[in-house]
Parts: sequence; structure tokens; C-alpha cells
Amino acid sequence: MEELIRFGEKFFDEFEIAIYKNRDASVNIELNEVSSSMLRERAVTVIRGVKSKKLGVSIVDTGDKEKIKEAIERAYKMAKLNKPDEKWTSLPEPGKYREPRKVDKELKEVSPDYFVDLAREGISLALEEQGIVVAGGAGGVEWGESLIMNSHGVNVSQEGGGAFFYLELVGMREGRVTPGIFDFDAKLSLNLNVEEVVRKALQKVKWAFNVKKSKTEEARVILEPWAISSLLSYALFPAFSGEKLVKGTTPLANKVNESISNELLTIYDDPLHELSINPVIADDEGVPTRKNVLVEKGVFNGFIWDNYWGKLQGVESTGNAKRSLATGGISIGFHNVIIEKGKKSLEDLVGEIDHGYLVDGFQGAHSSNPDNGNFAVVANPAFLIKDGEVKGSTVFMMSGNIYELLPSLYEVSKEQRVLPFEGSMIVPAMAFENVRIAGK
Amino acid sequence: MEDRLENVLNWALEKFKAEYIEIRYENVNKNTLELKDGTFTTFAGKGQMGVAIRVLADGAWGFASTNRLEQLENAIESAYKLARATAKAKKEKIQLAEVKAHQDIVKSKMKVKPREVPIEEKVERLAELEGLLKADKSIKSTWLRYEDASGEKILLTNEGTKIKWDLNYVWQYVWATGKEGEKLAAARDEVGAVEHGWELFKEREPNEEVAKRVLRKVHAQLQGVVPKRGEFPIVAGPIVVGIIAHEALGHLAEADLTINSPFKDLIGREVAPEHVTMSERIVEGGFGNDKYDDEGVPVKDIHIIENGTLKQIMLNREYAHKWGMEPNGHARAENYTYPPIIRMRNTIFEPRDWKFEEMIEDIKFGYYVVDFRGGQAQLNSAFQVGVQEGYMIENGEITKPIRDTSISGIAIEALKKISAVGKDFGLEMGRCGKGQSAFVSSGGPHMRFDGGIIIG
Repeated sequence: MEELIRFGEKFFDEFEIAIYKNRDASVNIELNEVSSSMLRERAVTVIRGVKSKKLGVSIVDTGDKEKIKEAIERAYKMAKLNKPDEKWTSLPEPGKYREPRKVDKELKEVSPDYFVDLAREGISLALEEQGIVVAGGAGGVEWGESLIMNSHGVNVSQEGGGAFFYLELVGMREGRVTPGIFDFDAKLSLNLNVEEVVRKALQKVKWAFNVKKSKTEEARVILEPWAISSLLSYALFPAFSGEKLVKGTTPLANKVNESISNELLTIYDDPLHELSINPVIADDEGVPTRKNVLVEKGVFNGFIWDNYWGKLQGVESTGNAKRSLATGGISIGFHNVIIEKGKKSLEDLVGEIDHGYLVDGFQGAHSSNPDNGNFAVVANPAFLIKDGEVKGSTVFMMSGNIYELLPSLYEVSKEQRVLPFEGSMIVPAMAFENVRIAGK
Repeated sequence: MEDRLENVLNWALEKFKAEYIEIRYENVNKNTLELKDGTFTTFAGKGQMGVAIRVLADGAWGFASTNRLEQLENAIESAYKLARATAKAKKEKIQLAEVKAHQDIVKSKMKVKPREVPIEEKVERLAELEGLLKADKSIKSTWLRYEDASGEKILLTNEGTKIKWDLNYVWQYVWATGKEGEKLAAARDEVGAVEHGWELFKEREPNEEVAKRVLRKVHAQLQGVVPKRGEFPIVAGPIVVGIIAHEALGHLAEADLTINSPFKDLIGREVAPEHVTMSERIVEGGFGNDKYDDEGVPVKDIHIIENGTLKQIMLNREYAHKWGMEPNGHARAENYTYPPIIRMRNTIFEPRDWKFEEMIEDIKFGYYVVDFRGGQAQLNSAFQVGVQEGYMIENGEITKPIRDTSISGIAIEALKKISAVGKDFGLEMGRCGKGQSAFVSSGGPHMRFDGGIIIG
């Protein structure tokens, strides 16, 4: 690979090779049955070179040396056609990486057969319950190897994998069709808990059979991990991007060291957190990853950066560069966001509510406006809580602004879930008071 | 390449006892440009090449994909073994509806293919569009993405299907953020085509038009007021009508999803007023247009709802057999790394005879929703659509713009509340995600809903 760096140096002032090799083995579940098995193997190489401040990128579906050389030449052709970026400084310099987590090599070779059995187990457990259809699901492993090198001496290779299993259940009873109810497990080993996935999903389907009306009112609302993570990912997290600070499009500009919530809220990004299922030691530019505190006890702590926007602002990259394999472009993103847990169990949080709601998922979180924090989402699946108990399912709209919602956080659950969302996320349930909802 | 693929197929037919073997080869060159506030942050040439293999053996599917052509035989063997392993867990054997095997070459209808356009021209056009947007003082930030592809796709099956496509597309996405005082607002715009080439940007979507549209959406939001929440008469423009057709109803008519949706028991029944017809069909300029699907089945026009009655659903060969129907060309794969699944192409409501003015003239208070940002639906047809451009209707007239809101409802209930269907027609291009991404379009005429949709 050193040879490729030398080859690239003939064309560019500085340049980078990123090679990603992936192997995914999985099974699909459709309508109460395992429907297909898949084995997908792919190698993708991304070349990024800069000549006289002109950027050229090329992407090729191979890890083969000769083909990579052709890709380097192609990137050079692209660079010649590009316009100089006067703001360009340089690619990253080598850094010191943390100790990588131990990798479970078993994940590299596991056959989809393993997941055929797992899926069968999950399906038959779910079907023990009357009126249940296993509408869909999947299980599998993803194994990835990457190598990031640049002409300044960055040279970091990583490997690792994870396993996942999810089911979507639909309840059909007396002409009533419940919304699709998902549950899942994701781990860095094959130690998946299928029984727990089925148990949790079944519980929610049972609630969903009993439909309750929701009112237009102000109420206490508990957002479960999947719901809160989707809302925050679209309405809040983009505002932490340093690029948006430079461009003046984040509502968090001038808010460093100011409170955006209350002391119950602490958010940080750390791929090597003990529960992380995305334990990367380097980002996609080869910059060491680290723990970046975003919000500490309600106070906004600062932005995250990649190499380009960081250098433009005169700060270091925080190791948050993410590469799109579709476009080769680098953008600022998270590896493993952790929302700090609280002290009470979810059960206690529900138990303390005389009248309120529990939200499992939101529809339309992705239509939120990250530039001002406005959102208008449908809580579905959602459940009505009465006298400390879940009484049935309901649907309502919740619209507002994330910066107005966050200060009304009054409790965080002590249980956290690991979500395979944008890398990975570790999220508790979060309870808010005086939330305006529009019932149906 | 065709010879190599045919040889591998023949080798596999001798070696394995499979009901069906499908080989799909793809070799596509792409140009991807991203222009963020004056800088091309992506300036990429991409070579995407690989093979997808699907084997049906003992009534179960196995799928393998690889970009190592020298290992094609191994990939077929993997797919075969996977199918056999899956079959052990399967009670109901998968069978495929019979189809005629086609041998064809699908030529591109583009006048100017993207590969014939020098990259300098692509760069210039994006820079010009950015300039037009930034000439407006309230525009704070812009993000322009452009992608095109030119290449070939070959489909071979053991049944004798042999189709070769000249594969091309162009696509553009704009995200603009505007600011006035402390108010921030963002708007999205997307155009694309598979049958129009570079001429799309010259003739149908020139920069001036795109810029005008984006600026209108940003300003509507900057000046917008928060709407009242509740159920009011709603007039929806073609783009919003399209997203309801696609998200809330279209997905329910994808046979693999129909089976778990309320549509299952409604086929042949009246689900909407007589003046409502919703189709999945080839449309002029449609982003989902094609001659064959990725199983080699000719693409047919279908009416999901015909004069108010739920009639047809989208099928691949597997589900066509299950339902005892004819396959209609809706099996699509994003690229060689995916197996084909049932997807929409162009989902639209058919126009009727109302004028827009007639639709709003007796509305004392209601909303006119023009464009969306993101939409999502559940299998029970509960939908949510973020509104990025909308206005109040007061005493029969369009008045103030509204901001950052969404509409929601249960589509199969909202259908019954359609009180007027316009005579105009509009189409929106987009990408649909269902585990894989697919180019689709959706649209229709203006339509009025008297209830069934909640705003706010």
C-alpha cells in the first residue's frame, strides 16, 4: 500500500486512500417465514487528492492495486477540472489512537445458516400468541475492514463486526390491524437475545389492540429510546456541527456554556464507550476519535468538527468525519452518541403518571427543521397512561421546537438501550412535562 | 462480458439443481458533485461494477453479490447453498408466476447522455444555480448535489431472459437555508430523469426556474405564521397529493406489504368517491419509468384505485404467483448489491375536471398545502407529511403563508373525504427508501379534502 501512496504523490500535493471491505450475511423474514438468505461482499476504495488547492475524488468498487492506480489517475483528472478551493488547508497529520476494543473474530466467518435458526426461533415464539403476524424482520452480521492512509503519514487500519436481529409484528384481531411494532437487538457478538426481542414487541402489540382516544392537551409524555433518538437526531444533533457554526445556520451559535435544558441532560459522543456497537478508534479521515461532550448537565459544551471545517475555524478536528461511500464526500457526524442515564426505572416513571403518554416511535422525525429545531411529528406507536398503567394505544401529533421541549425534561430512565442508529446510540427513556399534543 | 456471464450460467445449470437462476451484471460510471457554499466538497468520478446472483432452490431464495468477477462461480455456489439452507426452514415453497422470456436491448431515450457532457459544463451550471440562489440576500447557505450515471446492465436467467440496458440518469438536489432576523428556514428541491438527459436542465428545469421555486419556498416559511391545529378543509397541490399517493397508499399496494395492510381485505371494494383514480404507470418524464423490471418482466400500467374501487396491486413474480395474478413489472433493485424487491415507479392520482379557483372559492377557513419535506406512513395507512410550503385559505382566497408544520391522517379514511379532483397535473421526482433506494416520482392534480387530514 505504501507503493500506492508513492504513486499518488506523483500527481497530487497531498492525497488519501480509504479502502473499505465489507461482508454482510443476513436472512430476511417475510410473513411468518424466513424468505431469503444473503451474502454480500464488497470492496470500495475512495481516493481523495488535492493539487494546487483543487480537490479530486474517485471511487471504485475494488481493493485491487492496479485498479486503484487507475482510480488515482481518474481522481487527478477530476482535480484538474475542479476549481481551486482557496479555503483548503491540508489533510490531517498522524495522531495517537486509543487502544482498540477486542474484536470477536467469529463474526467474520459466520454463515447465514446461523441466522436461519435464530429467525425460526423468533418467529415461532411470536406465533405462540394469537392474532400475531410476523410481518417482517431480519437477522445477520456485518463485518467491516478499513484502511485509511494519507501522504502525511496517517496509516490506520481497523476491523470489526456486529450482529443484529429485529422483528416487525402486526396484530390482527377482529378486523383491527395494529401499526407495525418493531423490536430489535444489536451486539458486537452473536449473543443476541431473541426471546427478549419477541417479548418486548408482543407486549406493545397487546397494548396496541386496545385503542384509546388522545385529547388535545398539555400532558406528561415519556419518549422511549427509539422515539427520542429519532427526534433528537433530526431536530437537535445537526445543530452540533461545526460546519453550521461557520455558516451561521445553527441555532446553537453563541450558546456555548449556556443552558439548553436542565441538569438531567448530558449528551456526549464516544465510540469507545463500553456499550458502543461502533467502536472506531479513527474517523474516516484517520483522525483519532475521542470522547466529545456536547451537553453537560444541560449546558451546551461545544461543536464537533472534521478536518476541513475545523482547520477553517482554527480548531482541531474532533474526529467526527464520516465518509459517504456513494459520493466520497466527507461530512461531520457522530459515532456513538450517549445520553446519560437517570436514576428511576421506566416502570417507575410510568407508575408515577396519573394521566400521560408513552411514545415508542415517531413518524416524520426526518421532516424536522434542523436549522431552527422546529418539529411536527406523529406519535405512533404511542400509548395512553392512566393511573400509573399503560391502558392502550393511541396516536397524536406533537409539534413544537426542540429548544422549548428540552427544558421541560423532568426525568431520565436508568435503563439505556443500544440503538443501531447513525453508527450507534445509547439512549434512555426521557420524560417531559407540559408537552402540547394534538389528539385524534 | 455477455459471454462470460452466459458461460457461468451454463456452468451453474449443470452443477446445481435449482428452479431459477438469475444473474444481473452492472457496470456504471457516475459523476458526483456537491457544491456547498462556493466549494465543491465532492468532485468525484465513480466506477460501480459488480454482479448480483439470485437462486431459487427447493422453494427458497439465496442471494449473493460480489465485485470480484473472477470469483463468480463461488458467488453462485454461495447463493445456491444459502437457498438450500433457507429451504430447510420454509414451510411454504416459493414459486414464481410464469412469464415469457424476453430478449431485448433497451436503448436510452435521452437526447444528450450525461457522459457526452463535459464536466466543466456540469460545474458551471451548478455554480450558476448557486449564484442565482445567493443573489437573494436572505439565503444564508446552499447545498447543491448533482449526480449522473451512464453504463450498462445485463440480466440473464436460466429461463432464457436476456436483456441489456443502456442505463443512464441525471439527478439534482438543492437544500437552501434562509435567515431573516432570528428566523431560520430551509427548503428542499429535487429533480431527476431517466429518459431525459442533459436536456432536462436546458428545457424543463433550467436554473432560473429551480432557483425561483426554491426561493419561493424559503420566503414562504420565513414569512410564515404557525397554523392553527385541527381538521380543516385542505386543498393539496400536485406534490403533496403525490406524496400521499406514494407514502400513505402506494406502499400498501406493494404486494409484500399489502398482505399485512388494510388493503388486503379491500381489493374489489369501494374505498373512495367515484371521481378518484390512482395509478402506478409510465408517465411522461417519470423517474421510475422503465421497459422491464429486474426480473425481466415488462412494466405494465396498473390502476390501484379505479373510479373509487381498489383494483390492482404491484407485484413481482413471487407475489404474483401467491395472489394468482399476472406480474406487472415492479421488481426493482437499487444496484448489484441488492436483490430486487417490490417497488413503486410513478404513483399518481389521475386528473378530473375541477379548476383550482372553484376548489377554494367556498372555503371560509382552510389550508392550501403545496410542498413537503419528508413523509412517512404506517402499514395501517397512518401518515405524516412535513409541509415546507403552505398557505392559509380565508374566505375563498389564498392569504398568509404558514411555516414548519405537518399534515397527518389515516389515508384510507382521508380518501373518502376527497371532494374535488382538479384538471391540472404535476409530478415530483424523488427517491424512495425501503431498505434500498429507488428513483420514483409521484403526483397528480390539485385535490380537496373536506376532513380526514389534521394540520399542525
